[in-house]
Amino acid sequence: MKLNFNDTALDISSNGKTFTLTLDDKTIHAEIGHGENGRLDLLIDDKRVTAYVSSDNARRWVTVNGQTFVLTKSSGARRGGHGHHHAAGELTAPMPGQIRALNVSEGDAVTKGQTLLVLEAMKMEIRVQASMDGVVKKLFIKQGQTVEREQVLIEIGEN
Amino acid sequence: MFKKILIANRGEIAIRIMRACRELGIRTVAVYSDADKNALHVQHAEEAIHIGSAVPKESYLNVDKIIAAAKQTNAEAIHPGYGFLSENASFAAAVASAELTFIGPSADSIRLMGDKAESKILMKQAGVPTVPGYEGLESEAEFQNAANEIGYPLLVKAAAGGGGKGMRVVHAQNGLQEALESARREALNAFGDERLLIEKYIPNAHHVEFQVFGDRQGNILHLFERECSVQRRHQKIIEETPSSLLTPELRQEMGKAAVEAAQAVGYYNAGTVEFIVDPDTLQFYFLEMNTRLQVEHPVTELVAGLDLVHWQIRVAAGERFPFTQSHFTQRGHAIECRLYAEDPASGFLPSTGKLLQFSEPHGPGIRVDSGFTTGAEVTHFYDPLLAKLIVHAEDRETAIQRMQAALKDFIVHGVVTNVDFLQAVLAHPDFANGEVTTRWVETNFNWTAPSEPSLEALVAAAIAEITVPGANQVSGSNEADPYSPWKSSNGFRNS
Repeated sequence: MKLNFNDTALDISSNGKTFTLTLDDKTIHAEIGHGENGRLDLLIDDKRVTAYVSSDNARRWVTVNGQTFVLTKSSGARRGGHGHHHAAGELTAPMPGQIRALNVSEGDAVTKGQTLLVLEAMKMEIRVQASMDGVVKKLFIKQGQTVEREQVLIEIGEN
Repeated sequence: MFKKILIANRGEIAIRIMRACRELGIRTVAVYSDADKNALHVQHAEEAIHIGSAVPKESYLNVDKIIAAAKQTNAEAIHPGYGFLSENASFAAAVASAELTFIGPSADSIRLMGDKAESKILMKQAGVPTVPGYEGLESEAEFQNAANEIGYPLLVKAAAGGGGKGMRVVHAQNGLQEALESARREALNAFGDERLLIEKYIPNAHHVEFQVFGDRQGNILHLFERECSVQRRHQKIIEETPSSLLTPELRQEMGKAAVEAAQAVGYYNAGTVEFIVDPDTLQFYFLEMNTRLQVEHPVTELVAGLDLVHWQIRVAAGERFPFTQSHFTQRGHAIECRLYAEDPASGFLPSTGKLLQFSEPHGPGIRVDSGFTTGAEVTHFYDPLLAKLIVHAEDRETAIQRMQAALKDFIVHGVVTNVDFLQAVLAHPDFANGEVTTRWVETNFNWTAPSEPSLEALVAAAIAEITVPGANQVSGSNEADPYSPWKSSNGFRNS
């Protein structure tokens, strides 16, 4: 069976508790000892490894030897898209939070680097700045509004 | 002793206080916002009162609702924890007016010390060294003039502040106005008070604070220092005691200054006197006093051998200390790491979501104070602190090793954490040598997140994918079942 995590393609086949994997022309033998509640006791090429795996839609959270990786599983046919592609002048929320201050209105001229709004979450404030000179074409948010990560906030157009 | 206490807080500190209450045979009342209906602290209490919406101002910062909740449940005292209303003098006064006991110092002590401007003036009078700066400024022009007088870089901070909120470092004049505005806004939001002061920014300093404790009979002592120099955005991330920087003489001198600072405001209950120390000259300056229990209080508990929350409650109930300063010595070494739901690889931006796995380490000398469990939701409304991991060992080197091992056993899935970052700090020679200053993370520490997943991680993910029936389909079922694909599985042992 072919699987794709991030940019890495691998092939896995199983025979009961043993597995054969191929990855970058390497062949790996693995065996599963015990697994429950997101914990897997494995033997990978004769080395004992305890792994913790959680599944969250296409994401896989994997911790091995104290290090946690977030892998994105894709179909394998082609590389999965790296998120939604936004238009050049669209500014998105870098984190989930609340709009604390909105300094511009639609139609305002802005200069590159100008602080357009302030987003607050937990204990921190993030200033969202204009990515280019232009005018505020559209505001998608209001002061006080709660936004999600990656949500489009403002569209800046050319003068 | 009290029969029932209301805890006006949430998360790990509310739980830690409830544990102390249970040990002392005191019943507990939790308060909670809309966002915390299912929070762990609510489950830990014997009673729980809903006090408002998720926005702190309408719940955890709402004095009237909290006092009403205490009255409604016949609680006799209120423990404020840290943050929220813990350093709000009007709250302490309102609690007293309602004929309830505030578990903390007097409203006057809070007012005097909570005001960074007034406390500086008091400390100067008491002969405690302070950082050069100005207090009581109002107009833009006054700030501009004072800034020019002090010189850049300088520090703008909320007069009512604490915990890095409402604080900005300004490197040049053109950054002053915006720093003032955003500090003011943050201060207003966090403390309901927008006054600011400015002072010289002393870079490359150590942050060393002293735990002080007084009873209501006027006995006051200190429980040694905490070294809190590992910070990001003025927020502590690793704290330890003892500090490698202090000589026995300096420790004694600073401890004496801390006690004098507390005495200057007639202090009782637990408090922390913060100093910055110049590592080259070993000069120390009073920074501020936090008139509450500190996040990092566990390291002091382990090394000084006193349960600070027990004694907060006992002192509030009128008990006199059965001990004096000479009873206390520093035993071994303790370190605390703060596990935050944040991504160090993208400027420590907060990370929110549902905890798919949350598994705490156990073992000799390991303590975890946490407010979360598997399945809990980390929201953007509150502090991103997930847990405090605290270790105690006979010496510093052993404590570091113990912390490194314990961190490896702390499994958090569902939000990005700073665990890798903490590990990198602990493994750094500057940390081993005790040479970390408060700006070290920003200026001296180059850290990049491991970009390529390890081979073992890929293998484990692949095996998980085919071992569990149905897991090879990318599903959107996690809303209902965060443990998926595991929970439904019974196939591992015999597959």
